[in-house]
Amino acid sequence: MDPFNAITLAIFLPFIVAGLIPAAEKILKHYVGWLAAATALISFLLIATVLPLVIHDGPISYAVPWLSSVGIDFSLYIDGLSILIGFLASGIGVLIMAYSNGYMSHKEDLPRYYMWLLLFMGSMVGMVFSANTILLFIFWELTSITSYMLIGYWRDKPESIYGATKSLIITAAGGLVMLAGFLFLHSITGTFDIPTILQNEALIQTVKDHNLFLITLVLIFIGAAAKSAQGPFYIWLPNAMEAPTPVSAFLHSATMVKAGIYLVGRMHPIFSGTEAWFILVSGTGMITMVMAGFMAFRQTDIKGILAYSTISQLAYIMTMYGYTTQHHPGIGVTAATFHLLNHATFKACLFLVAGIIAHEVATRDIRKMGGLRREMPITFIIAVIGALSMAGIPPLNGFLSKEMFYESSVEMGAALGSPYTILIPVIAIMGGVFTFAYSIKLIDGIFLGKRPKKGLPKHIHDPGIIMLIPAAFLAFLVILFGLVPSIPVHYIVEPTASGILLEPVHLHVKLWHGITTPLIMTIVTFILGILVYSKYDAIAAWQDRFNARHPRISVNYHYDAAVDNAKTYAHKISSVTQPGTIKTYINAVLILIVTLVCIPIILLGADVIPQTLNFNIAPYEALLMLLMIVAGIAIVVLPGYLPAIIALSALGYMVGLLFIYLKAPDLALTQVLVETLSTIIFFLAIAKIPQKFKEKIPTTTLIRDVIISVAIASTVFIMLVNATQGIVSPFESLSHYFIENSLTLAGGHNIVNVIIVDFRGYDTLGEISVLCLAALGVYNLIHSRSEEK
Amino acid sequence: MNNTLLSFTIAILFGFGTFLILRRDIIKVIIGLGVLSHAVNMLIVSVGVFTGTKVPIILGSHGEHGASGASGTIFNDALADGVLAPVVAAGTHIDYVDPLVQALVLTAIVISLATTAFILILAYRIHEEYGTTDLRELRRLWG
Repeated sequence: MDPFNAITLAIFLPFIVAGLIPAAEKILKHYVGWLAAATALISFLLIATVLPLVIHDGPISYAVPWLSSVGIDFSLYIDGLSILIGFLASGIGVLIMAYSNGYMSHKEDLPRYYMWLLLFMGSMVGMVFSANTILLFIFWELTSITSYMLIGYWRDKPESIYGATKSLIITAAGGLVMLAGFLFLHSITGTFDIPTILQNEALIQTVKDHNLFLITLVLIFIGAAAKSAQGPFYIWLPNAMEAPTPVSAFLHSATMVKAGIYLVGRMHPIFSGTEAWFILVSGTGMITMVMAGFMAFRQTDIKGILAYSTISQLAYIMTMYGYTTQHHPGIGVTAATFHLLNHATFKACLFLVAGIIAHEVATRDIRKMGGLRREMPITFIIAVIGALSMAGIPPLNGFLSKEMFYESSVEMGAALGSPYTILIPVIAIMGGVFTFAYSIKLIDGIFLGKRPKKGLPKHIHDPGIIMLIPAAFLAFLVILFGLVPSIPVHYIVEPTASGILLEPVHLHVKLWHGITTPLIMTIVTFILGILVYSKYDAIAAWQDRFNARHPRISVNYHYDAAVDNAKTYAHKISSVTQPGTIKTYINAVLILIVTLVCIPIILLGADVIPQTLNFNIAPYEALLMLLMIVAGIAIVVLPGYLPAIIALSALGYMVGLLFIYLKAPDLALTQVLVETLSTIIFFLAIAKIPQKFKEKIPTTTLIRDVIISVAIASTVFIMLVNATQGIVSPFESLSHYFIENSLTLAGGHNIVNVIIVDFRGYDTLGEISVLCLAALGVYNLIHSRSEEK
Repeated sequence: MNNTLLSFTIAILFGFGTFLILRRDIIKVIIGLGVLSHAVNMLIVSVGVFTGTKVPIILGSHGEHGASGASGTIFNDALADGVLAPVVAAGTHIDYVDPLVQALVLTAIVISLATTAFILILAYRIHEEYGTTDLRELRRLWG
């Protein structure tokens, strides 16, 4: 299949199937999850068909015109990087949706669950293959929204709602900041198309030399950091763990949080090789890596530990992408790419294990667990493989990419010179030590030691095969990638790295390559890691005390305060602007009318009352107008409902007469008919409403209302006498067209009729709809009463 | 130019309508809306673009144009010049009054009937449920 069609189908197939899920559920019942998994598998295979082409010929880009006039097309860019994340989204998607069949109870709202999972997957695949920044932004925000729906899947849990809202606020706001960055990028380069920039070295150099370089970089990076939970934006990820565990494994470890990493990789050729890139990306990465790894200690929820671990591991990748010098812009790119892949395998595997434990043991609190190795031997083995890979133990894949991380850190430190030669490797080791410690904690806390006497169900066992196979498959990949690294390196890492570095990359990864600096660093990491682990509980306790003493140091504290304040101030503002008394609203509108009409009159400097006034009028017409004013006075002055309505009716009939004077026979006819009908309706209604309430208007109110009324009347008068004085609208009237074509096009002599039934037929359709709605409304209002009584 | 007396009448009716919709009694407010809609309808009809005096009904069957003495088109299609509306050559005199505003107001009259009917029934139901037509009292009851 043509690569463009294959990728387009891979993007939109999940969207289409998502739409069919509710109907399919009627037939398939709880087997509907397998339909979702099959869809993900097809998407995966479609992406896989494109891979050989990319390895062979390099990146491919395609465009279908969309909003071409503003430079936005539906354009795809297919290179190693997009394929890697596309593989993760669809491939892990298959495993997750299969696993969910065992995890989700059949009583759950399964169509909603699988629908949002598929929508997420489609958005994610669409995002990574988007060549156009605006298209990328659209899919980016779609992943935020679908993630919001999935975190908040259990709608009746307040924690779910809190976590979902938090993730949406942070990631979607980050997305908007990123959009601002894209607009800056557009103003520098003149294009929204990413490949156009990537393939033009002169243009990239222009970006780097531009005044707006720094602000563009910072804005785009904030978007990436918010999505990948880096720096202060990390706070949404731990709360997102309220999602069902398969969702956490899928979105919040393997795919969606990789979107920020993806963006950094995509923008790498444009911004890297500069000091700002290193400081921003690596700086944020290193701080996040160490802090998140450290903060993982005090988590008691298994998923909480995994969440902080994810933040820390993503920070590894971020740090490596940030390693750059002017001559060698992509020091850590291959290592980052490899770790990206490896992290997705071992972390998704661990999340699935966490799901298994939550499912079988009915708790996720690590303090209540221990000694489960006998009861869950298979789960135990899978967990050990995943955790040891995360800790960086050979011969698992985590070891390989950890080594590469150390190697690139040493290289970067050397490139910067003293004191960074030591400092950067030391920070890297610190990250590694914390990772080692909490990885061991996961194994030790859950599976080793003694089984607690209380708090655990009596019979605990390995789960069914549906939940075991996806986790086992990921564990198998962890070992496979570790023992035979040439497979992932050749098929995935090399094309991805070439996609980022824009040149062919050849890489040789071996398990054993002699005693090198990275190996020594790894050994140091293990020794320090064991030492730190021996003090694990003491450190966690100290963290708890520290947090209790300094609540303000936490980012969450400020997030909560900001959200609460926003609510309070919004309430204060709306209680002033929306007090609920109709009179306030009416007054606001009236004052606005007066102001809006007065301002242009003053600005234009027109004589407010023109010199020549036209009083040339037939006596009977003057009499008619005089009578209208009299009727108006009667309506206002008469206190009873009935006399006022009769006066209103009289006014309405006189308006009909006036329409004859204004040369509008159709209006006169309609007015007389409608006035008759409306008088009848008034009488019918008033007959049922006794006039109990008689308003006594206080003098101040009376004066104020009279002033407002006089102001409105004067405004209208001034407007009217000036309206015919030559204040010309910038547009010509359409009336000419109607007059000329009424007979020729529509064959009607009465131009007004032709406009209503022909030229402006849709307006009339709207008018009829209003009548129908009003009739329905009236019917329902009366009907609602008869039900109650 | 519009007749000043007509403009004055319309303006006065606007004033009356405004005073009534500021009242506390729902029924008075509805009556005020009725007065306002009459005034608005008259206002729109009275500000048509043409100075013509004939009712906009074409007599005869030969497609006699409203433009005096003109036998071809009375406007230039100005799309090519970037103007998205037909533009009439300067000084063109048209015998008819403006048909467009009449068509608009015809629609408005019918819609105001619909809204008046709806709002009256609403007031009636409010009276049934709450036993009052005082807006301030209702605001208090709704909390």
